[in-house]
Amino acid sequence: MRSDALTKTYDGKIVVDHISFEIPKGRVVSFIGPNGAGKSTVIGMMSRLIMRDGGTTEFEGKDVAKWKSGELAKRLAILTQTNNIQMKLTVWELVAFGRFPYSGSHLTEQDNQAVRQAIEYMELTDLADSFIDELSGGQRQRAYIAMVIAQDTEYVLLDEPTNNLDIYHASNMMKIIRRLCDELGKTVILVLHEINYAAFYSDVICAFVDGKIAAFGSVKEVMNPATLSAIYGVDFEMIEVNGKPLSIYY
Amino acid sequence: MTASKAESHRQGIQAARRRGKSKGSSSASSFISGSIDRGSARKIVVMSLLALIAAAAYMLVSVNPKFAAYAFKLRAPKLITILITAFAIGGATVVFQTVINNNIVTPCLLGMNSLYTMVHTMIVFFFNTGSVAFANRNVSFAIDLVVMSFASMIIYGWLFKKTKYNVLYVLLVGTVLANFFGSMQSTMTRVMDPNEYDALLVTLVASFSKVNADIITFALALMAAVIFALRKELALLNVITLGKTQAINLGVDYDRTIRRLLLGVTIFITIATALVGPISFLGLIIANLSRQLFKTYKHTYLIAGSALFGMIALVAGQAVVEHVFVYSVPVSVFVTVSGGVYFLFLLMRRKAA
Repeated sequence: MRSDALTKTYDGKIVVDHISFEIPKGRVVSFIGPNGAGKSTVIGMMSRLIMRDGGTTEFEGKDVAKWKSGELAKRLAILTQTNNIQMKLTVWELVAFGRFPYSGSHLTEQDNQAVRQAIEYMELTDLADSFIDELSGGQRQRAYIAMVIAQDTEYVLLDEPTNNLDIYHASNMMKIIRRLCDELGKTVILVLHEINYAAFYSDVICAFVDGKIAAFGSVKEVMNPATLSAIYGVDFEMIEVNGKPLSIYY
Repeated sequence: MTASKAESHRQGIQAARRRGKSKGSSSASSFISGSIDRGSARKIVVMSLLALIAAAAYMLVSVNPKFAAYAFKLRAPKLITILITAFAIGGATVVFQTVINNNIVTPCLLGMNSLYTMVHTMIVFFFNTGSVAFANRNVSFAIDLVVMSFASMIIYGWLFKKTKYNVLYVLLVGTVLANFFGSMQSTMTRVMDPNEYDALLVTLVASFSKVNADIITFALALMAAVIFALRKELALLNVITLGKTQAINLGVDYDRTIRRLLLGVTIFITIATALVGPISFLGLIIANLSRQLFKTYKHTYLIAGSALFGMIALVAGQAVVEHVFVYSVPVSVFVTVSGGVYFLFLLMRRKAA
C-alpha cells in the first residue's frame, strides 16, 4: 500500500501536504505526531472515508478510489472513534455485520463460523448476547475489533484505538493489535497519541508534523531524543526496557 | 504470514473453538433464531390480524344488507387510500430516521409538508383551477411529484451534505424553511381569486373523509416502482444504522445510497400528502411505536411494524370518526393532538436517559 503526494486542504488551509510513503506488509505501523498534524486525515484518505484533494493512494497496485467499495471492504477495514449506534444491537449482531461485504444480510454457515471465531478470539463469548450500549468502554472496543476480525481483511486501519481507555485496557488493546499482526498476519496501521505504546508495540513509526512526514522508519530509527524533540518541541530522555526504546518526557 | 505464525494461528483458533464448545453454543442458537426472529414475526402476525379486524369493522359496521354494494363502493376507496397512506408514511419515516441516524425527526419536521402545500398552491397560482394541471387529478399529482422531487433533492440533499448530516442544524434550517414555504404559500393565496382559493383549500386540508381516490392506481404503481428501483438501497438500511464510517468501511456507497433513499422518502411523502393532505406527527408516532415494540435493527420488521401501526390507528380511528362521532371530528385532529404529546414524551425520555 503506497501513497504519493497525498494532499488535503480544509478551507484553504493545507492539513496534509504532499505526503508520500509506503506501508510495509505484515507489520504494525504507528502514526504519531502532535494534534492537528494530519495523522487521522491521512488514515481517512487511505481508507476512502475522506476525499483527498490531490495525490494517490494505491492499494495492491490500484488506486483506492478506483476500487469497488464492496471489494475493498474485503481487503481493508477501518475503525474510527466515532461509533454511536442508535439501535439496540448485541455483540453477536455487531460482529456479524463484519461479514456484510461477503454475504450481505444473509449469513451462511461459514459466516456464522467466522463470527463465532472472531468473538472467541476477543474473549467475548460470554457477552455475545449483551447489548453494545450496556458494555464498558474496553469491552465495546473489543467488540468492534471482533467485527474487524470477522471482516477478515489483510489490512486493518485504526484511528486512535486507545483513546478513552485506561492504562489496563489500553495496554490490552495494544497487545491485541500485536496479535492481529503476529497471529493473524494482518498489516495494522494505527494512529496513536501515546508514543511509548508506539515504541513498544509497533514495527514501524511514521511521525507527522504540520501535514508533513517528519520521520519514517523502524522504532529504533525514530525513537531518539533529537528526532522526538524536533517533532513535539519537548525535551526527551530515552531508556531501554526489554530491548525497546522508551521515552521519558515531562 | 510465515508458516510458524500461520500454524500458531490455526492452533489458537482450534483452541478457541474447543473453548467455545462449552459456552459458545447459547449465542449461536440465539443468533440463528435471531435471523428468523420468531418473536418479531409473531408480533407482525398479531398486528396484521388487528389491522384486518379494523378494516373489517370499518367496512361492515352499520351496513344495511340491502345496500351493501353501494356502501362498499363508497367505503372501499377510502379504506385503500388509508392503507396506502399508512404504508407510505410509516415506511418513509423509518427510512428517513435511519438515514438521519435520529429517531425523533420526521420528514414533516423538515418542512416537507409545507413544501408540498407551496408547490400545490403554485400550480393553482400560475395556471388556474380550471386548467388540466389542476382539474385532472392524475396530471396534478404528476406535477406535484416532479416538482417536489426536484425541489427536495436540491434543498434537502444540499442541506444534509452541507451540515455533514448534523441533525440539529438540519432541524433548525428545516423549521426556517417550513416557515418560508408557508409564507410564500400564504402570499400567493392572498392575491388569488377567492373562488380559486376555495377550490385549492379543499385539496390542502388533511382529511380521510374526502380522500383523493382518483389517483390510487397511479400511486400504487409509483410506489411499487420506487420500491423496485430502491431494492438494493433498502437492503443496505441495516448497515447504515451503524453510521457513516462503518457503512463505508463495509463497502456501502454512502452518499449515493443516502441520496437515492431520500428521494424515495420524498416521493412517498408526496404520495401520502396528495392522497389525504398534509398530516404531521403520524409518522413520528408509528415509527417510534414500531421501534419500541420490535427493539431490533432489522428494517424489514421496523418498516412492516410502522406501516401496520399506521393502518390500525387510521382505519380504527376513521371507523370511530364515521360511526361514533358521525364526522364531527376528523381523525387528523386526534393524530395531531396525540402526536404532539407523544413527541414531548420522547424528548423528555431522551433527556432523562
